[in-house]
Amino acid sequence: MKKVQIKWNRIKTAKTIVVLVLSSLVFTACSSDNDAVDTEYPVIDISASNAFPVQCSQITRGQKITFRAQFSDNAALGSYSLDIHHNFDHHTHSTEVSDCETAPIKKPVNPYLYINSVTIPVGLKNYEAVQEITIPQDIDPGDYHFMIRLTDKEGWQTIKGLSIKIL
Amino acid sequence: MIENKSNSVLIFLLFCLAFVSKVHSQNTNSEAKELEEVVIKDQSEKRLKKEESLNIETVNSSFIQRNLGGSLMQSLQRIPGVKTISIGSGGSKPLIRGLSFNQVIVVENGIKHEGQQWGADHGLEIDQYAVNRVEIIKGPSSFIYGSDAIGGAVNIKPVPFPKKNTLGGAVDFTAKSNNEQIGGSLNLFGRNKNWFFDTRITSQDYGDYRVPADMVQVYNYNVPLYKNHLRNTAGRELDLHLSTGFVGEKFQSVFYFSNIYTKSGFFANAHGLEPRNVDIELHDKSSRDILMPFQEVTHTKISNTTSFAVGNHELQTQLGFQRNFRQEYSHYVNHGFMPPIYPAAMYAPHDLERQYDKEVFSAAVKDEFSAGKHQFTIGLNGEQQQNEINGWSFLIPAFKQLNAGLFAYDKIQLNDLWMLHGALRMDYGRIEMEQYTDWFESEITENGQTTKEYLKRSEDLTKTFKSFTWSAGVNYNPGKVSFKANAGTSFRMPIAKELASNGVNYHYFRFEKGNPNLNAERSYQLDLGIDWQENKWSVQLSPFFNYFPNFIYLNPTAKHDIYYGAGNQVFEYQQSEVMRYGGELQLRYQFLKNLSGEILAEYLYSEQLSGSKKGYTLPFSPPASVLFGLNYSPEIKNLRDTYFSLDYRFTAQQNRIVPPEKKTASSQVFNLALGTKLQAGKQDFAVSLQVQNVFNTRYLNHTSFYRLIELPEAGRNIILSVKVPFLIHQ
Repeated sequence: MKKVQIKWNRIKTAKTIVVLVLSSLVFTACSSDNDAVDTEYPVIDISASNAFPVQCSQITRGQKITFRAQFSDNAALGSYSLDIHHNFDHHTHSTEVSDCETAPIKKPVNPYLYINSVTIPVGLKNYEAVQEITIPQDIDPGDYHFMIRLTDKEGWQTIKGLSIKIL
Repeated sequence: MIENKSNSVLIFLLFCLAFVSKVHSQNTNSEAKELEEVVIKDQSEKRLKKEESLNIETVNSSFIQRNLGGSLMQSLQRIPGVKTISIGSGGSKPLIRGLSFNQVIVVENGIKHEGQQWGADHGLEIDQYAVNRVEIIKGPSSFIYGSDAIGGAVNIKPVPFPKKNTLGGAVDFTAKSNNEQIGGSLNLFGRNKNWFFDTRITSQDYGDYRVPADMVQVYNYNVPLYKNHLRNTAGRELDLHLSTGFVGEKFQSVFYFSNIYTKSGFFANAHGLEPRNVDIELHDKSSRDILMPFQEVTHTKISNTTSFAVGNHELQTQLGFQRNFRQEYSHYVNHGFMPPIYPAAMYAPHDLERQYDKEVFSAAVKDEFSAGKHQFTIGLNGEQQQNEINGWSFLIPAFKQLNAGLFAYDKIQLNDLWMLHGALRMDYGRIEMEQYTDWFESEITENGQTTKEYLKRSEDLTKTFKSFTWSAGVNYNPGKVSFKANAGTSFRMPIAKELASNGVNYHYFRFEKGNPNLNAERSYQLDLGIDWQENKWSVQLSPFFNYFPNFIYLNPTAKHDIYYGAGNQVFEYQQSEVMRYGGELQLRYQFLKNLSGEILAEYLYSEQLSGSKKGYTLPFSPPASVLFGLNYSPEIKNLRDTYFSLDYRFTAQQNRIVPPEKKTASSQVFNLALGTKLQAGKQDFAVSLQVQNVFNTRYLNHTSFYRLIELPEAGRNIILSVKVPFLIHQ
């Protein structure tokens, strides 16, 4: 009789522990999820009439071009980088819907390479990026790729890849 | 290296051999090893659950056969709290309660597996056919295994010794529809009274895997897929194993040798500095060829485990050597100031993008003895590794590393009901990184002056770390219900990648930068466990709470690298406070004698409490999921262990993300499985069939390596697996 009693008590304690742990779990599981962190990507807009370059733009060697695009973010912009590299081997395509006509594959001799990064002033939600780039005279003409990478303060990044031609 | 054709020939030979040996098999009882395993498994699993205060899940080879995936961890994903970071259809890394890479360790035959744990693009070099029993510790276990076991451990136990005076083996054959995989494994073992051998050869060959999509979006680039094939994700594997030694009553000494070779392609459109166009004609000609980019990995392991008894003491020594040789091949893409044409006189071959060569020596001594109610384990282990690099690109420097640890563990059986655990451990670690200088000159402009310089990408740097960890636990087993609780600390030494990386991650188009000022990671964790077993039902609940004062985290910054990084975004290692909690729930109910159901659920919450990503979660956070399983095991004449099972897994959406992740929608996937053991003549066969993703559902897995570039998971996959054990002599 005594033994049975002990056993019953044990089960009772066991049950109490189970209920306690279960309920604590339920409480902790529900107490979160109202976080307000930024999960939005910044936006690169090249739809304005003065935006340059756009998909399939043509540039002449020795010319000074002005890159122009409109950037925006829900919270704060970070920085952007511009990268012009050759596409003589057709390795890249673009993020745009329409494709441009490409010249046949060729070997690079003195391809143009331009990489630059600009930090956007702190706290801006909208920013018009303007940058002058001088295209040297002695580079290989042909198909090039113009990449725009834009980050916001938290590190979200949007990429735009454009196909251009240097004549 | 090894040609496609020769691999298929090898698989074919395996089967010829199997059938030849089948003819020789005369005995009816062909389960010399297998029967024993089942008994051992049942007892030890129950004992483990009641005698260990950490949460441990154990599975055996029949679980793996039943849930066979493309790699070991994929086969274990049914276990709640265990997920994978998969790299295509043939490789994966363990993800235990949301932690992976160097935060989870894998132990095989008692030796810590040392591959390239830090990278999401390398799978675990383990042959799943050679796995007999796996214990998964869901929680910090640094006090046993040292640094790196901060998130958990996957302990692959040695295969049991064959019975005395037997000669036998088994053949495994596997075919999969989705990636047109064929594979097999042949095992031969034998033993006289005290000496034994156990050998195995495994070969697998698979094509590109298919997804229910004909177009995918890699970042913002549209990539059309030919016949739903993920271009260039084919691969193959060839594994060799041998263990041999002496098994006596008081003395055992066993040598293990294994060589795991894999070659696998990477999805061709997403490698380099930006999403790429590929030669579609070349790539889509065959779904079985492996073109660039691809990786080749050879992992060699040699070890000896010797155990003997001296009086009351059970002593064990372990010596090991491992070599992990990994090469990543890709077409040369110049970035930064690299020349546009690859120089003819370069030290590395033209297509060798990266090479890592790791050699590891390890040694361990352990003494187990009991004194009264105490059962003590005292151990000492050390490891020395050397890492060389090669290839035209740079990410991490060459380095040497030394780790040593001393631990004591006491298990106290107070009475029939209560058991206490206490452990202490001290560790010392030293890492010496070598400087690396670019092989090309970069233009540096300072004050309007442009000069050319060979840039130094990493400095000579030596760091040392010391650590003291402890763990304490209790088990209370009053009958049908058992409770456990464990509290403890764990630690992890920062790795070379975290301290000194300085290069481009070509899979994710980002520039990764190490931080030489990182401290050793520390973790505090509380684990609880309740297990209630009744005749018709059982419940198991295992909640945990975890806090890291200094979690090492690869933080995406707003910056871009304009030299080597070719304008790509910079990611930098930082440390932040992290809080995590969650748990797993397992419910089982026996509806009828032959019909049972189960519910397996898991939940995890992580939050960074400080640093530049305060409020965000951690990368690769698995969303909550629940699996409903129904199992019918009828008794059919002439068949044994027959089962039909249906699994329905609901995975919740994951909206808690950190850059550059994307929110992942919820998904619902159905898996069917059936299998049986039959006897034809005097020969046994174990057959299992699975249909994974029955409805060919298109879904994304938040923790897949290819998730960031939006590649969906594999479509419907029919997997047939046959195991034929045989006994040549008894």
